[in-house]
Parts: sequence; structure tokens; C-alpha cells
Amino acid sequence: MDGKMAPVLVLDNGAYTAKVGFSTEKEPRLIPNCVMKSKAERRKTFVGNQIDECKDLSGLFYVLPFQKGYLVNWDVQRQVWDHIFSKDVLNVNFADTVAMVTEPFFNFTSIQESMNEIFFEEYQFKALQRANGSTWSAHRYSSAQQKKPLCCVVVDTGYSFTHITPYCRGKKMKDGIRRLNVGGKMLTNHLKEIISYRQLHVLDETYVMNQVKEDVCYVSSQFYRDMETAKLRGKDNTVLRDYVLPDFSQIKRGYVKPLEEMNYAGKYKGGEQIIRMANERFAVPEVLFHPSDIGIQEMGIPEAIVHAVEACPEEMHPHMYMNIILTGGNALLSGFKERVFSDLRALVPQQLEVKVHQPDHPITYAWEAGVALSNTAGFDKMLVTRQQYDEYGQNICSEKFDV
Amino acid sequence: MSSKMADKKARESGRLRDADKRRVIDNITRLKRQRRQIENLERDNFHDDPHANLVLVNKKLPQFSDTNDSPATKKKKKTRGDHFKQRFRKNFQTLLEEEQLSIRGGPNYLTAQVPPSEYPERKFCAVCGFPSNYTCVTCGARYCCVRCLGTHQDTRCLKWTV
Ligand SMILES: [Zn+2]
Ligand SMILES: [Zn+2]
Repeated sequence: MDGKMAPVLVLDNGAYTAKVGFSTEKEPRLIPNCVMKSKAERRKTFVGNQIDECKDLSGLFYVLPFQKGYLVNWDVQRQVWDHIFSKDVLNVNFADTVAMVTEPFFNFTSIQESMNEIFFEEYQFKALQRANGSTWSAHRYSSAQQKKPLCCVVVDTGYSFTHITPYCRGKKMKDGIRRLNVGGKMLTNHLKEIISYRQLHVLDETYVMNQVKEDVCYVSSQFYRDMETAKLRGKDNTVLRDYVLPDFSQIKRGYVKPLEEMNYAGKYKGGEQIIRMANERFAVPEVLFHPSDIGIQEMGIPEAIVHAVEACPEEMHPHMYMNIILTGGNALLSGFKERVFSDLRALVPQQLEVKVHQPDHPITYAWEAGVALSNTAGFDKMLVTRQQYDEYGQNICSEKFDV
Repeated sequence: MSSKMADKKARESGRLRDADKRRVIDNITRLKRQRRQIENLERDNFHDDPHANLVLVNKKLPQFSDTNDSPATKKKKKTRGDHFKQRFRKNFQTLLEEEQLSIRGGPNYLTAQVPPSEYPERKFCAVCGFPSNYTCVTCGARYCCVRCLGTHQDTRCLKWTV
């Protein structure tokens, strides 16, 4: 590469949200990685953040490029990328720009080849790095510690699934990578399902119910006690919340009814539409800790962390349990970190120390880590340039990218 | 053994067989139900495309850079068409099967999946979501009280087609 610094575009390409921006920016833009259709606006589709222009988000229809966490719908992905790279968002000058893009663990070969092809042949970026977002996170976490830890474990709990990846000296321990097929999408769908059965048909309201989840769900630290509380009547039921649904005319966004305005009989004069949330508030996120609650025969996150660590050489275990990093959108659920810690503490042998680290911004942590990596010495060596691709083709990419 | 006795025996074991078969089918049905419920939790949408019966003005999906500044060579165009057919049209299942076909040792997508939990399953009422102690004899769903059992029988019990 030539001496002067080329702009670096960092794209953490999530199945629900793309985190994207230049390495010179403080934070990435969060762009919905999908095309959406509204009942109210029959003339247009909304690509990525164009959804901000949509006034009526009820019954929003989603077309997503990812299926089970892997990129399969390239038509849709291209629409979103075209939009992101256009002057409407980032105005990328491809020939000058280095692209860093994330992909899931065990990505399929043909998806990887398509990625290389699109970035080099279609967009014609100057150079490319493809990586797993967790590897960026592990690198950043280690560099930020005063004394560089030998090992760490990155938990990435996102939309499609949750990955747990042990690292030693910056290298992922492939035998230890674990995946739970539980993520934010499943939580939202489960919430929609139980509310639709118990109260009000909301199966079509993914957008709204996702907000309900983010606004009122939490991870319980005393599950059975909270279950008892959630049965109580009146003010004693400290779990109970009434959620006011948006109607997209008077009420633009849903919100939790303030406690002092709460009517425990459930009747409100304004006639606004209410969802009453009691055990739903914590039973839904519980699926991350007990997938078998809804019939998915998999370990929960803390148990899976132990399973991942135990797949690695024993001398690494103490270092791993002391450096557990929680990333991804589900880590934002209130009480998540505390619960991961307390469950882990109960599972891990007493003589080993357990430390769980939750970054301030679990969603953008990997993106920020990508930026940090682009500023380290030797970054150039992690890239494949377009000239190299033209000369050596797909091979040089599979040799160079550690994915 | 008299032929009468043999007849009776045959009838009895036939009945037993039938009863057994009924129970087995029930279990299969229950499993199917559960699998379908889990599949539902992976859906992107539960309603039809609101634009499904509209003729879209901009019907064409993004062209693979017909407007690219650099002159696209004939070779490139060919590759694109090929890929579009071969690669850009595969769903998850196809990709997964392909990946397994290629012989690869070591950890992969399938081995990374966590096994079932070693801890006992917790039981919740299918109606209200609170911990439950009882199982519906008809369909195997859980319930916590007479009231919830009533609701369950009036709504979902056996009404879910498979
Ligand atoms: Zn009940
Ligand atoms: Zn039943």
C-alpha cells in the first residue's frame, strides 16, 4: 500500500442492524439491514434508515438479507449496501477506500467468495479485510487492559443467534466456539406470540413489539421470586407495567405508563391501547438462559460459556473466566450482566475467579474495535488489495482472512 | 390352545397394538407441534407482503452494476450471470448441505451448536406463563390451575392443526 493513509470504512454487518462508518468517526451509524414495507405507504419501500421517513410503522413488513444468521438474500443486501455507500449516507469513494467487513463464524465458503467478489469486482474497493466481529472485540479488549490478558471469552448475543468464542493471545480457539440458536429475533417473536394469545393480536407488529421488549423486558436475578411477585394484585405487584402502544397519529412511540398513573384495574379513560406486562417482562429474556423454557433443547448462555471454556486446554481456564466480554444487543437487557455473572459463579469451580465485563456500548463494541484495529501497526498486512485480488483471486483472501 | 383362545389373544394384542399406535402418533404429533412452534419463532413476518399484489414501478431489483464506471468486460458479465444463478439464489439449507458435502475436518457450523442443557427442564403454564404442575392428558401442554386448563381446552388444545 502507498504511504498516505487511505480512508477506512468499517462495516459490522449485522443480520438486523449494520453498524457502519469511517474509522475517523467517533461512532458508527446504525442502519437497519433490511428493506421494509409499510401498509400505509403503498408506493415505496424503505431501504435501511429510510424507515426514519415512514410515519406509520404498524404492520411493517420486513425483507431481510440474512437467514439463520447467514447472508443469503444478495438482492436485498445489495440494496442496503448501495444505499449505505451512496451520498445519502456515507458517500464512499471506492477506489480510495479500505473496507473492513464482519461476517459470522463458520461462514459458508460460497458466501465468502460472493463477498470478495462484490467488494472487489462490483464496488471495487481499494483493499479489504473480512473478519469475525468477536475477533475485533477480543483484540480491542486485550489492548485496552493495563496488563494484557492471555485469554478472553467474547459473548456476542445478537439478532439471529448467540456465539461464545474463547481467545488465546488474540487467536480464536476454534474447538471452543459455541452457538446457541437463540437471539433477539426469537425473544421478540416469543413475546409477540404470548401477548397475542393472552391479550391482543400483535403478531404483525414486529417493530412495535421489539420496542416493547427493549422498553420493559429485563433479566431477572431471582426468577421464582419475581414469578411470585408477578402474581400479586394491586400495588404489591411491583413487576407489573402497562405499556401504551403507539397509534402513529397521537402517540408516535409506545411508552411505559408512569407508575403514578397506573390503574391496576387496567382501565384507562383515554382509550389508548394497552399491553399489560407481568411475567412476560422477565420470562421472555429468560430464554437466553433457559432455551428449553420454549422447547429449544440447548444450553443457556452461562452453561454454554462453561462448555466453550472446557473445550480449551485446562491451563487457559483461569484466564478465560477472568475475562468474559458481553457484546451484542441482548447484552443491553437490564440485569443481563449480573445474571451471567451469578449463574457463572455457581457453575465455575470455586477456586477460579470469574469476571464479566460489559462495555458501555455492547452493540457498537465490535465496530469500535474494528476502528481500533485499523490504527494498529501491521494493519496493512491484514488486508488484501484489489491488485492482489486481481492477480491471485479468491485464494489470497482465504489465505489471509482469519475467518 | 383352543382356536377360541388364540382368537381372543389375537384380538387383545391387536387392541393393544392399536392403543400403542395411537399413543405413538400422539407423541409424533406433539413433537411436530413443538417443532412448528419453534419454526414460527424464526419467522421474519407473520402476515403477507402488503405490496404483494401491487405492480411495483421499480420492480427490478438492483442490477449488478450496469452503471459501473469502469467498463465491464465480457468475462465479468458472464461471471455475474453465473453467480446470480448459482450462488446468489441459495437458501440457508442449500448452503449448509453444500458445506457438509465438501470434506472438511475440524470444528464447523454443526459442531459449534451447544448440546442440550444438563439441568432439568422447567415447566410453565401454556396459558398464563406461571410455573405449572400439571400436564394436559390430551395434548401434553402444561397448565397451572383449573381456570387455565379450561382456557387451554377452549382455545389451543387439539385445535392447532399440524
Ligand atoms: Zn396458568
Ligand atoms: Zn391440551
